[in-house]
Amino acid sequence: MTEIVDELRATRPRASDALRLQVLTAASRPPVRHASFLDRVRGRRLALLVPAAAGLAVVSAVAVGVTRPQPSARDAASAPTTVDRTTAESGVELAAPPAAADASTAQKAAPGPVTGRAQRYVATLALAVEDTDALSEATQRALAIARDLGGYVVNVQYATGADGTSSVTLRVPSNRAGDAVTRLSALGTIVAQNVQIQDLQEPLDSLDREVAKLRARIAALTVQLERATTSVERAQLLEQRAQAHAQLRELRASRAATAAEARNATIQLELRTEEGRGAVAPGSRLDRALDRAIEVLAWEAVVALALAVAAAPLVLVGAAVWGTRQARRRREDERLLASS
Amino acid sequence: MTVTRTASQAAPRPTFAEVVEEHLDDVFGYLAYLTRDRGQAEDLASSTFEKALRLWERFDPERGSARTWLLGIARTTALDWFRSEARRRRREEAAAIPERVDEAFVEGLSPAESVASAASSAGEREVLALRVVLELDGDATARVLGISPTAVSTRLSRALKRLEERVSEE
Repeated sequence: MTEIVDELRATRPRASDALRLQVLTAASRPPVRHASFLDRVRGRRLALLVPAAAGLAVVSAVAVGVTRPQPSARDAASAPTTVDRTTAESGVELAAPPAAADASTAQKAAPGPVTGRAQRYVATLALAVEDTDALSEATQRALAIARDLGGYVVNVQYATGADGTSSVTLRVPSNRAGDAVTRLSALGTIVAQNVQIQDLQEPLDSLDREVAKLRARIAALTVQLERATTSVERAQLLEQRAQAHAQLRELRASRAATAAEARNATIQLELRTEEGRGAVAPGSRLDRALDRAIEVLAWEAVVALALAVAAAPLVLVGAAVWGTRQARRRREDERLLASS
Repeated sequence: MTVTRTASQAAPRPTFAEVVEEHLDDVFGYLAYLTRDRGQAEDLASSTFEKALRLWERFDPERGSARTWLLGIARTTALDWFRSEARRRRREEAAAIPERVDEAFVEGLSPAESVASAASSAGEREVLALRVVLELDGDATARVLGISPTAVSTRLSRALKRLEERVSEE
């Protein structure tokens, strides 16, 4: 056996001179086809595409952040918002303006009651002030504004600590409510505001009609009483007239309360120091650019992940098909070589 | 004193002409064993080096030797030829009675080569050529054939056993 192996090695086939010359001549010529882009980036060079793509993503995110340094959504989202809704059919509610809106915006967005109609007017203002000194001053000024406009203070809660808060409930004449909101809005930076206007004119008119009916009924009972002939009939009419008088008193009291409600507007003022209000103050241009860049990067990551998730099944199917074809081709090659 | 060999000090990449000069006989010998036809082996060797020249920029010496790389291309070229031959034979069989070819006749081979080539299939012959004649190690042979080193050993022992039986009969 060893002899055959030695003989096989000793007598291994050698290429003819003609073949050698032909191949060497061809080898001395430069290759016709140059490497394509895919050839050049093949293998380890392909790995460079990953950091290149990541670098491109970062650069584009920074470029977007610098060129569009808008206040981030996080700032807006962190601002408190109003939650209650007016339930009365005739009620009107105004949504809060964006955080950090200026007083002029608030002025436009906060209308006063309509003159000539009885209305319930409730306004809630949330303002941010710089520090506890500003909080104290703003609270004092809010009380002074209420007095100046002919109104009064219903309730005051003032607290300072790590964060300062002040809650003031004011009642001012309805015809001065618009002025009050405007002047109170100037005490700090508006974080949120809510104005509810409910029409009370219709209930008042209804009460007036009820009162008129009752008066007419009392007058009629009085006439009947004068004409009564028996003591029993008189006693019944007197009883009915007394009941009508009692109802009339109730209606008048109710009307007076509704009218009083319409005469004065309620303004709830919430003051907080900047640290306590929870809203992130608008940062510098660099901060906003960075926030925006991070936001864009996050979106790029989400998009890349979504694409990867969407493409994964296709890649798996493609790999399975390729693997199956390769295995089948290899089996066919083996059969071919076994039979040749 | 320890000398560290850096990438810049590594052996320079050989030219294609140097690779041809060094491995032409190996490629031709492998193809001659595989096809059992010197003329066909020359044609296939020529095609192999044409392909290799086109792919030369892709050759990475760190991934394997030039010889292994060239033998891989030679095998692919030979398999294409085997496939085309099989198709041609099928067409001829379908059209008419095929011409009988003496498979055992191999022009220009030594007696031992003739025995070896007649004794086995192309699959076994290529293992004999690579492992015995060209003296490639198991891993390099496995890379050329696209199978595991264990499969190479199995195929080699089977080919040697059959060769031994054939020599005993002779």
